[in-house]
Amino acid sequence: MNLFRREMKASRKSLLIWIVGIIAMVAGGMGKYAGMAESGDSMNELMADLPKTLQAVFGVADLDISTPIGYYGVLFLYLLLMAAVHASMLGANILSKEERDKTSEFLLAKPISRDRLLTAKLLAGLVHLIVFNAAMWASSVLVVGQYAAEGESVAAPIAELMLGMLLVQFVFLSAGFAVAGAGGRPKRAVAISAGVMLLTFLLSVAVEVSGSIDFLRFLSPFQYADAAEVIESGLGLGFVLTGVAIAALCLFAAFVGYRRRDIQV
Amino acid sequence: MAVIELNGLTKTYGGARGVTDLSFTVEEGEIFGFIGPNGAGKSTTIRTMLGLIYPTSGSARIFGKDCIEHGPEIKKEIGYLPSEVFYYDNMRVKDLLNYSASFYKKDCAGRIKALAERMELDLTKKIDDLSLGNKKKVGIVQGLLHSPKLIILDEPTSGLDPLMQQRFFELLEEENKRGATILFSSHILSEVQRLCNRVAIIKEGRLMALEKMSELKENTYKRFKLQPAGQVAPGAFAIPGVTEWKQEDGEVSFLYKGNINEITRRIAELDLRNMWVEEPDLEEIFMHYYVKGA
Repeated sequence: MNLFRREMKASRKSLLIWIVGIIAMVAGGMGKYAGMAESGDSMNELMADLPKTLQAVFGVADLDISTPIGYYGVLFLYLLLMAAVHASMLGANILSKEERDKTSEFLLAKPISRDRLLTAKLLAGLVHLIVFNAAMWASSVLVVGQYAAEGESVAAPIAELMLGMLLVQFVFLSAGFAVAGAGGRPKRAVAISAGVMLLTFLLSVAVEVSGSIDFLRFLSPFQYADAAEVIESGLGLGFVLTGVAIAALCLFAAFVGYRRRDIQV
Repeated sequence: MAVIELNGLTKTYGGARGVTDLSFTVEEGEIFGFIGPNGAGKSTTIRTMLGLIYPTSGSARIFGKDCIEHGPEIKKEIGYLPSEVFYYDNMRVKDLLNYSASFYKKDCAGRIKALAERMELDLTKKIDDLSLGNKKKVGIVQGLLHSPKLIILDEPTSGLDPLMQQRFFELLEEENKRGATILFSSHILSEVQRLCNRVAIIKEGRLMALEKMSELKENTYKRFKLQPAGQVAPGAFAIPGVTEWKQEDGEVSFLYKGNINEITRRIAELDLRNMWVEEPDLEEIFMHYYVKGA
């Protein structure tokens, strides 16, 4: 528990900064909606005139941006990217920093097993994800609710989107964990983890743009929480299962790899 | 009872670093010197004992238990001071020591206070702001605060001023009297000379010698310096045990290991103006091992 507590305390400040960023992103992003809503359907038409590729890049292809939740769906892609950056960096950093800062020689001379060390770090990471997600959830419901018409419920689709975000966060946290735990290059773990995350983002954009490589959707967690789809019909069970399986595999690799390898000092 | 047993311990990295077929035993209550130049494999050996890295072959046992299998269990009774002290920078000394203590299931508050007072360590400072010597003190307190049965020190004195070094040695002697076994790794030989009962000398990852300090110093080697009245015949001291023979400015000097009567008989045949017999310091002996191995 001491390790867990220490981890929570050490990253308190950075988590706080992220939360401020979340609120700013959600409030700032939705703030633009107020101005746009007045122009009514013309915005939808303008977007429809854009080339298909650009629509895909902006994520507006299948969303009705004249409604608050539709507009939020466009914004969601960027919120999701933000969550992915946070999770992939957190997962790699929380573990690799001990080796990078040469504190692992201190820590592992203590009477704890590597499994226990990893478990404590993983728990701390998960709590971070949940706090991050909760802040996103709360600020989204509050802000989007401001623009919602009388009687229109935005809480349900937002809840679904947030669960999707949590899934994506979990996958990237686990991937970062695997890179830092099983990989032999703790100094570059954060960069590699973020790189992998960006690659899957590009893949996700490519899938949107081409429209003909749908079978690759499972390879990019960003596709698991596609806003238009989730708002329309909820999270896909296949994506949830795939995400959980990938995360489990990553965590397994992290534990086994970390147990076996030499600690770099 | 053997506290540390190394059996053919071998660790190879991609390159040349590492240790090869290292075997020795440290008995309970010993202060054991582990000496060798930088890069000889001292830290590698210690890190293997702590389970930070895994041996390529061979094994290390502490308190009779395998270092890998029973790592967490044996580490309850180990205090370790790494050669380079890096700790979480944004922590205060007090926080770090409490954090360190929280891994052991005993109350260490009193010990922390006493040790910090003894080493004149300010508990309220941020670790970031400390000088190298003061960081080293944090390391010392951190390594001793749970009253471990085995204390492993990797180059512990670098950065400490002579007064603090003195105090640190007294502290170690007290711990030793209390029953703690100490493994003291160093390349500074004079400090090993003063504290240790036995030494292992390691070079390029191999064990060069394993001797009792008393034997190493007293029985084994003597440095002879002679000032003969006339010329010394070149073959006059050509007996086994004589090394580092030097003759210059009318003086003859050499190291001798062996039966002392043998050598005095030879010396008695000479017409001498003056003569010195000295205990060589460990440095000289060490250099001797060095040269022999090269």
